[in-house]
Amino acid sequence: MRFRHRRVAAAAALAAAAVFGLPACSAVLGGEESLVDADSLTVGVKSDQPGLGLETEAGSGEFEGFDVDVALYIAERLGVAPENVDFVAVTSAEREEKLISGEVDMVVATYSITPARRTQVTFGGPYYVAKQDVLVRADATGIQGVRDLEGLSVCQGAGSNSAARITEGLGIPVEEVEGETYSDCIERLSSGRVDAVSTDNLILAGFLAQSPGAFRFVNNPFTDEKYGVGLPYGDIEACEAVNNAISRMYQEGDATEMLDRWFGETDLEMVYSVPQFEGCD
Amino acid sequence: MIPSSSTPPEPTRSTAPAVPGRTGSRARDGRPRLRHRLATTPARVWLLTVVSCAAVIGLFASAAHTLDQARSGLDVLGRGAGPQAMATTELYLSLADMDARIADVLLMGTDHDLGSGREDALGQYEASRERANEALLQAASLTEGEGVQQRNVEEVLDGLGAYERLATEALLRNDEAGAAPGEVDAGALEAYRGATRMMHTELLPKAFNVGLDSSAIVRANHEEGQAAVTLGLLWVGGVGAAVLLSLFGLQVYLRLRFRRRFNLPLIGASAVTVVLTAGVVLALVSSSGHQSAAKDEGLDAAMSLARGGAIATDMQADQSRYLLDPDQADNYQQVYLERSQQVLFRPVSNLADYYTAIDEVAASYPELPGGGDGDPGTLGYLGERAHEALLPGQEERLAQVLEAYNELQTQDRRLREAVRDGDTGEAIDVRMNVAHSGDGTFAAYEEALGGLTEVHREAFDEGIRRGDAALSAWTWLLPAGALLLLLLVALGVRPRLAEYR
Repeated sequence: MRFRHRRVAAAAALAAAAVFGLPACSAVLGGEESLVDADSLTVGVKSDQPGLGLETEAGSGEFEGFDVDVALYIAERLGVAPENVDFVAVTSAEREEKLISGEVDMVVATYSITPARRTQVTFGGPYYVAKQDVLVRADATGIQGVRDLEGLSVCQGAGSNSAARITEGLGIPVEEVEGETYSDCIERLSSGRVDAVSTDNLILAGFLAQSPGAFRFVNNPFTDEKYGVGLPYGDIEACEAVNNAISRMYQEGDATEMLDRWFGETDLEMVYSVPQFEGCD
Repeated sequence: MIPSSSTPPEPTRSTAPAVPGRTGSRARDGRPRLRHRLATTPARVWLLTVVSCAAVIGLFASAAHTLDQARSGLDVLGRGAGPQAMATTELYLSLADMDARIADVLLMGTDHDLGSGREDALGQYEASRERANEALLQAASLTEGEGVQQRNVEEVLDGLGAYERLATEALLRNDEAGAAPGEVDAGALEAYRGATRMMHTELLPKAFNVGLDSSAIVRANHEEGQAAVTLGLLWVGGVGAAVLLSLFGLQVYLRLRFRRRFNLPLIGASAVTVVLTAGVVLALVSSSGHQSAAKDEGLDAAMSLARGGAIATDMQADQSRYLLDPDQADNYQQVYLERSQQVLFRPVSNLADYYTAIDEVAASYPELPGGGDGDPGTLGYLGERAHEALLPGQEERLAQVLEAYNELQTQDRRLREAVRDGDTGEAIDVRMNVAHSGDGTFAAYEEALGGLTEVHREAFDEGIRRGDAALSAWTWLLPAGALLLLLLVALGVRPRLAEYR
């Protein structure tokens, strides 16, 4: 991230403040860096989720998907041109770490806002509220609701607790299978080795869009997964600017366009209205 | 009284130049006349006096300007954007309450005497709708010219009409079908699903975001104001030092020229300068501290609790939705847990564990669980509030809120156990007792929460009042002090200048 230099006056005042020894001047005079002043950004996205964050060719550094589009839109609203946005791949496990170390400035990677994560990361958004749902083979007509999964095998990605929400949260006993990745789960579903794949409906829709007609949703969404824009902890100014950008993204129809572009082919029931933000403090 | 630099020279009484050899340089620098004019003692005294007086006026101007900025900052927070921002949180609460009442009335069906009764619920609905309208008007004036939020407010206004049509249709159909308690007519349920979906995907998010944005406006105003005051403080300090320096210069010159050891009026002026500068700086620092306290411990805390209260209103209504829509019951139960977690978070993944965790929190408060081993402790609107109680009476109020919240969860456990046992009648009774507008479990929670919010509202008013008080004396102290300074300077130099008449 590079910064615009527009704070000469503030810097001079800051120096004076240091001389006078007035407390808390640095914070008040804007001595803290904020992403709103950046003129380039490094954004962490997923590299293995079709429709959301997918590296177009392994090692190419080129990414595409809904998350990528959202990141570019927000960056533009923050005054950073698309050519100054660098995307890097992040896995679910390394999102906090890379944000805290400063390796990335922003994370847009199906990153659910949770109270625990909010103690380490400031979240803009959510920019979309996905629901946890279950994908089954199109011909598995016996599964109409989530309760029909009783006794069947449900695949989830490594480190996910999607299946636990079915077993513990809803009290429906299913056989939990862990795939290395979601692509792995989808392959197993396709070949009949598992009966269902459970995770956020937006992630599932991304896979569904790749092979339309092969699968279908059980369509019993049962949790809210609020996809947030991960920002360095405490950058409230950037968080408010991101929220403003997301509001405009919905008001001006860009969000509808992006959602339709990536998931329009699927039978996913989408919400085209701005989500309820979590707040920046 | 203020002398100008065009004071006529008095060449007859002129003394020799201070530094020998200066005469030679006069012709070279091409400004012999000015040099010559300033070469006289009275001219130099006049010059030093002018500099001192200009510095005093500069001190007055910078202090007056900064005090003014501090006052207007307090005014915006205390009487402008602050209360307006508070009013926007009302919008979300009223909307959530409307949807809650509709769900309750549908659940009651033909039994109009359940809980505090159908008439009461409909009356509360009307009252909430009116409050929503008022809050919308407030929000419309607050967000005027703020493109994004203005449009959010307009969309809520439009959407509210559509919501009401769906809600009314749901009630009508249920009445026409003569649906028994807990057995909502299919057509009515269809209409209600549309209504509550619209409320939750379109109206509530926008209303919430408008409230958040008004908080952002308050924060930006506050920070800008604080930065301006801090900068002003530096100016006041700097100009105050300049006044001291110029007085010192005058003093030294008079001493060298007139061989007088002390000039009492000028020493007095120096003392007044120190007192005036330090007084203004202290007043500004203290007022700015009170203003920050009013914002952080007062307004921000009160607004965060108001948001928590609004989410809880929606959360308790999920009990009715859970009972009236069996197909979506799993979903509503999960949503209930999620909203509960927003209010008071503990790291658990299902309701049974949540009940236990909340019971522990309420029992152990003011000790709080967690904090190590991957347990983030208590989070959410209430949980974060619980970490430290700085205000008088806050801890006690918070204990009452946690107690009332625990009772709410205890009743929820009863409700879901009744459903599991197939006793729908009992479940509906529990629900209607929770929702009872007079002595219901939720009303008790709201009352406790109101008590806690009041503590923060008082802190807000107190902070603004003390901030104002810190500044108020300076409305007359500053001009009086500045005049006194000018007078002392005049008294200090007049007898010396008189010697040249």
